[in-house]
Amino acid sequence: MKKTLTILFTVSLALLVFGQTALAIPAFARKHAFNCNMCHVGFTKLNDFGQRFRDNGYQIPGQQGLEKTVFESAFPLAMRTTAGYSLYGTGGQSTGGFHIYNLDLLSGGVLHKNISYMFIYTPRIDEPAADFTGPGTGDNPAQLAAIESAAVVFSNIVRDKLNLRVGRFEPGFQLISSKRSYYILQPYEIYSFAGTRNSFDFSANQIGIEATGRFRPGLKYALGYINGTGANPDNNKFNDVYLALSKTFGKGEGQSAGQRIGVFGYLGWQPTALLVPIVSPVGDVNGVDNRGYYRFGGDISLNWRTFNLQGMAFRGVDNRDFNDFEPTLNYAFWGGVAELDWAGLPNNRLVASLMYNWVRPPDYNAVHKLDACSALVRYYLGSWSAVNVAIHAEFTHRQLGSVAPIKENLFTILLDFDF
Amino acid sequence: MRRTLISIALSVVVLAAAAGLIWALADQQAPPLIQINAQVLGPQAIGPLPPVVAPPGNPPSSAKIRLGKELYFDPRLSADGAISCATCHDPALGWSDEGPTSAGIRGQLGGRRSPPVSNAAYSPLQFWDGRSPSLEDQAKGPIQNPVEMGNTHEAMIQTVSGISAYQTEFKAVYGEGPITVDQVAEAIAAFERTVVTTDSRFDRYARGDHGSLTPLEKEGLEIFNGKGHCTACHWGPYFSDGRFHNLGVPPLDPEKPDLGRYDVTKNPRDRRAFKTPTIRDAARRPPYLHNGSEKTLESLIEFYDRGGGKDPNLDPLMVPLGLSKHEKAALVAFIKSLDSLNPEVANVKPIDPRDLPR
Repeated sequence: MKKTLTILFTVSLALLVFGQTALAIPAFARKHAFNCNMCHVGFTKLNDFGQRFRDNGYQIPGQQGLEKTVFESAFPLAMRTTAGYSLYGTGGQSTGGFHIYNLDLLSGGVLHKNISYMFIYTPRIDEPAADFTGPGTGDNPAQLAAIESAAVVFSNIVRDKLNLRVGRFEPGFQLISSKRSYYILQPYEIYSFAGTRNSFDFSANQIGIEATGRFRPGLKYALGYINGTGANPDNNKFNDVYLALSKTFGKGEGQSAGQRIGVFGYLGWQPTALLVPIVSPVGDVNGVDNRGYYRFGGDISLNWRTFNLQGMAFRGVDNRDFNDFEPTLNYAFWGGVAELDWAGLPNNRLVASLMYNWVRPPDYNAVHKLDACSALVRYYLGSWSAVNVAIHAEFTHRQLGSVAPIKENLFTILLDFDF
Repeated sequence: MRRTLISIALSVVVLAAAAGLIWALADQQAPPLIQINAQVLGPQAIGPLPPVVAPPGNPPSSAKIRLGKELYFDPRLSADGAISCATCHDPALGWSDEGPTSAGIRGQLGGRRSPPVSNAAYSPLQFWDGRSPSLEDQAKGPIQNPVEMGNTHEAMIQTVSGISAYQTEFKAVYGEGPITVDQVAEAIAAFERTVVTTDSRFDRYARGDHGSLTPLEKEGLEIFNGKGHCTACHWGPYFSDGRFHNLGVPPLDPEKPDLGRYDVTKNPRDRRAFKTPTIRDAARRPPYLHNGSEKTLESLIEFYDRGGGKDPNLDPLMVPLGLSKHEKAALVAFIKSLDSLNPEVANVKPIDPRDLPR
């Protein structure tokens, strides 16, 4: 019984941790009467047109002011959910079950020429299968309720060269977007890796302000000033900053055409202690003894026909005060991801992908050394503008630790439903 | 066990709901007709063409349309009596010509491909650079273009006014008074508004006859509105946004590049941008692009698949497409499904010069 509970706990935790929100917004497709492949190689991964559409504040590139606003068209609402069967195995044991992995409610559109918004709400899912702790306690929801994104975009303040995004948004330093990855259960592991007492998550949406723009030929930037605590309220007076630069060679954005390289750097602070009695007028608990951390790295995206090879690696350094293993040393690590995607059949009805994740913590923390190999196949049932459905099969073999490693296998087959 | 059953039940409910929605959408009928006008915000769904709306100042009548047709086919509107509207906009050649660019008076070659007259009634602006706001305005242009009909409006009116049968017809349509260039243009425009292709196999498919397209053509439709990015510009029932885009088309004469829309607006972003042509009946009128530089539909799709040509002002909509051979073939097949089946248009015969008004 204990073993069963342990496995149930692990698989549920894996689904909660691995399960990630990814975006595809059929409200846009409906408004423009396009099918999904106008913007996506296969939803959710953006193609070059889709990337430009997003960069242009959800307006068709070069057509600002020539399309309907949300007040002149059907209100743009969209929903995405994934449900199916997962099988998890480790240490010679396995367990499986049906799950609803996530549910996203999205709205986004143009409010006025060059002013647009994006809103994403993820409701809490008290899926019984995930609530392994007992009947009806709701202590372990499959998904937490959150406003994942609530941002207004001011586009073309200086045509192409300056756009502002304000609110909670996906920061532009993620040159390879975790939100639009094909993988549903396997995340980009390095994104969520940090020192033991640093809660920073590279893949989390952030609250703040971001400037983005592009210059000819193919040079793009993203410069942000944010809380750095993801979906949480800020708890210190120091804000984080980041800068990402990318250059695309050839036509395209490096998503499905052209070749792209990029670099990024992130500098942040987090408190190492909280002064609970001192609460700001906006309700944030004040933290003290702030310490810094930084990330820097690069990415590359290479395209050939319908193959896309993308990779990203970065080094992270957290102040020693975040380091519970060797408190005299800064916690320095690095890792990355390499992903090979292929799209086939007419209109990219079939997508296949291989991915390798690695995380290399410091030697004294080898227990967190991680390698994960993943593969997936997605088949899209149709190419409609109002809805899309994909049958998705994904497998990951994960190895944690270098001595007596924990080996895990996770397989899932599910329906990815988007309308 | 209870939780497993609940999980299975939930999954079944989600799958059933998804399947129901797919079924409902797959079975949906053609969208309602959409009004087309110059101010329309888009993109809009592709579909059958709505009825043509004539401007209030030029209501059609059978007599006016007949007069307009005679004028359209009458070479006497040109300076040397050899070039008519139909010379460059021939019904037998998809209401265009053989190209790549048009030969006007005394064999002079123009710099642009002859745009089709069929369905031009739906275009908010006329000419490749959109310099004309209406068919009436457009009809006056070629008459006095030195490379096209090489005439003057005054000389053309003198010629037409000297033909007694035309005098009678103009009197019947416009009443007493001298014949004017505006009347000539209005009559030609009224005829051109009848050159509308409302029936193709695609139109029948869009109206609910799902058997009217082959499986390959249906794939082409899917790609046309998706991976091919065609509907980013070729949208709506007219299969054109009526807007202007720089595709990076190589100029015929690199020393004297055609600046396109820029010559009208003087906006630097319009440099070498040209109006989106309709796809309807496109298979009937090669070659393609504003200067006829792509000889076949196949080579045209290759051009788009490369993301267009090179130009510092290349439209941001132009990106390489990564189409496979099969996808390109499907696109060609779909475009051919837009060929008109309208007998009333396909059978428009040139008026024999002997039958023109005397």
